[in-house]
Amino acid sequence: MRVFLVGEEETVHEFPDTRNSLLLKLRDKGDCESWQQFVAVYRPVVYRMARRRGMQDADAQDLAQAVLVAVAESVDRWEADPRRARFRTWLSRVAKNAIIDAFRRRRPDAAIGGTTEVARLQQQPEPDDAELDREHRREVFRWAARQVRWEFAEETWLAFWLTAVEGRHVKEVAGQLGKSAGAVYIARSRVMRRLQEKIVELEE
Amino acid sequence: MEAKPTACDDTRIARFLRRELTDEEERLFELHLDTCETCSEKLDRSTAGPADWHEAAELLRDEPIDLEPLSVVLSDADSGEVARHVVDDSVRRVLELLHPTDDPQMLGRIAGYEVVGVIGSGGNGVVLKAHDSALNRYVAIKMLAPHLASSGAARGRFAREAVAAAAVMHENVIAIHGVQEHGGLPFLVMPYVRGTSLQKRIDQKGTLALLEILRIGMQAAAGLAAAHAQGLVHRDIKPANILLAGGVERVTITDFGLARAVDDASMTRSGIIAGTPQFMSPEQARGEAVDHRSDLFSLGSVLYAMCTGHPPFRADSSYGVLQRICQSTPRPIRQSNPDLPTWFCRLVDRLHQKDPQKRFQSAAEVADLLARCVAHVQQPLAQPLPNELCEKHGGVPVPHRRAWAVALVGGLAVAATSAVLWLGQGSQSDQSPRPDTSTPPAAANDDVRWNDDVDRLLRELNESVEELDKDTQQLFEEP
Repeated sequence: MRVFLVGEEETVHEFPDTRNSLLLKLRDKGDCESWQQFVAVYRPVVYRMARRRGMQDADAQDLAQAVLVAVAESVDRWEADPRRARFRTWLSRVAKNAIIDAFRRRRPDAAIGGTTEVARLQQQPEPDDAELDREHRREVFRWAARQVRWEFAEETWLAFWLTAVEGRHVKEVAGQLGKSAGAVYIARSRVMRRLQEKIVELEE
Repeated sequence: MEAKPTACDDTRIARFLRRELTDEEERLFELHLDTCETCSEKLDRSTAGPADWHEAAELLRDEPIDLEPLSVVLSDADSGEVARHVVDDSVRRVLELLHPTDDPQMLGRIAGYEVVGVIGSGGNGVVLKAHDSALNRYVAIKMLAPHLASSGAARGRFAREAVAAAAVMHENVIAIHGVQEHGGLPFLVMPYVRGTSLQKRIDQKGTLALLEILRIGMQAAAGLAAAHAQGLVHRDIKPANILLAGGVERVTITDFGLARAVDDASMTRSGIIAGTPQFMSPEQARGEAVDHRSDLFSLGSVLYAMCTGHPPFRADSSYGVLQRICQSTPRPIRQSNPDLPTWFCRLVDRLHQKDPQKRFQSAAEVADLLARCVAHVQQPLAQPLPNELCEKHGGVPVPHRRAWAVALVGGLAVAATSAVLWLGQGSQSDQSPRPDTSTPPAAANDDVRWNDDVDRLLRELNESVEELDKDTQQLFEEP
């Protein structure tokens, strides 16, 4: 059975126990939001790491799901902490362990092995902190980009994307969009600024 | 607009970043940046350090397509300006790629085809009309837009999907003569179909008549069924992709399988999909994996558009549309078009279930059902309404209102039976609310729990009476 823990619109569904306990734990609205952001960011992180290790789409999704479920279940332990570390900080610590754990457990014994996937998994190194940090950072950027993207008019976003991300010349893009070069500079500065604010917001 | 040159001013840059400039100041700032490289560079540096710009590019740029989790980000569906520029550019770039031809009537040559003209272009590609001199026939050539074709993976996928689509042989699915490549751009060769798209038909006529809707829906469902049988999901069923040749006699679905290729390519290139999300399914909108039942949801939206003249989920932005698709129920069809029978609205509602499990489970089933609906509407006396569309599944068929005489008899029979059953149940259902016959059945509360049969019969009676009322009225109105 695949359990869906969706980040933004839905919280948790087909999984009532977790939902109830989780929502009880997360009475504080800020924490609820933290959890949703957490899911939105970490699911693709785990998914991508799994795909890079040669897992199929469905398996990678399952693994991401398993990590999220494991983290959700340990939310119990969080409240026991008397100093009450910030929920967000605590979450990312738990997630790190859960991910390393999940990948370690997926590495099968040679005795069971045989399929290509297994062989490939065995060749792949276990995730380390550096890879995790890198992937996390990437996803934070993407998450922020998805969030702020809608605050801008299409042309503004295009001006940013084509010049800053795709590295095209300001003049060329200005011509393509029928805008002045000055407008392209202004547009991309605005988007970049907003992107950075959003990232700070997530990581504060 | 007079361009008064302004001097370089660092505090202006700082104030811009703090969002303190007035509109007028910003306009002047923009004019200044246009000509002053020093300030442009300063603005970049003050916005973010070089390492930050670099990181942003690095992290947002695409990874190989198959590492990408599915996520859907869309441009504004109706954003005129940008789309137009991009499109014009695509057409221009495609035309530049054509080889010169001797025939002055032609635009150019592409792999043995003489290009007659540009049929259309969208964010995804450019469609050309061309003449196949070897077989002496006109063909439509669809090329992936050049800005989407820069990734090898995207080109490969376009070609693979096209080959898969070519394997679907069905009269309601456009045939694909071949997949070829020209100047590094893959393109499809299809029959040139003279006709109009369903979208144009809706734009011109507004709503369509019930029988037309059923016939178009039936053929579209049959085409989908053939493709689904090959494991192919269309992913972009919408009125613009449904061609009508010879009125509604022949429906052809185009662009099979291309949506996927195009989505992947455009998303990873720019984070944008040009195109409309209005006919997407909720699972597509959420970026989840989709199967053939996603097409059925979209088919429901197409039927809805034929009934009302507009798509079911509308909002100011693409993002708003996506949210509505995921979260809200469309306005009941009969509020916009009271001429349509409730049983038909029920069919659309089934297709519009957010949970794919609750929809009809196959296009073949829908095609069959619609075929029986056509038969019923044409010959209400001989052909009963399909059971699935009666108030409760398996219930007594409610006759279409054109068969008002039969409806009258049927209604009375139902009334009699209901009365008997209802009286029989009387003692057990004291607390149950008595159905209010003035309420249209669509608004009846499904949660009312009492004997199912009585409930069903009464509702059907209610419905028959309602339809009768309308028919009687029409009788008087139409001399």
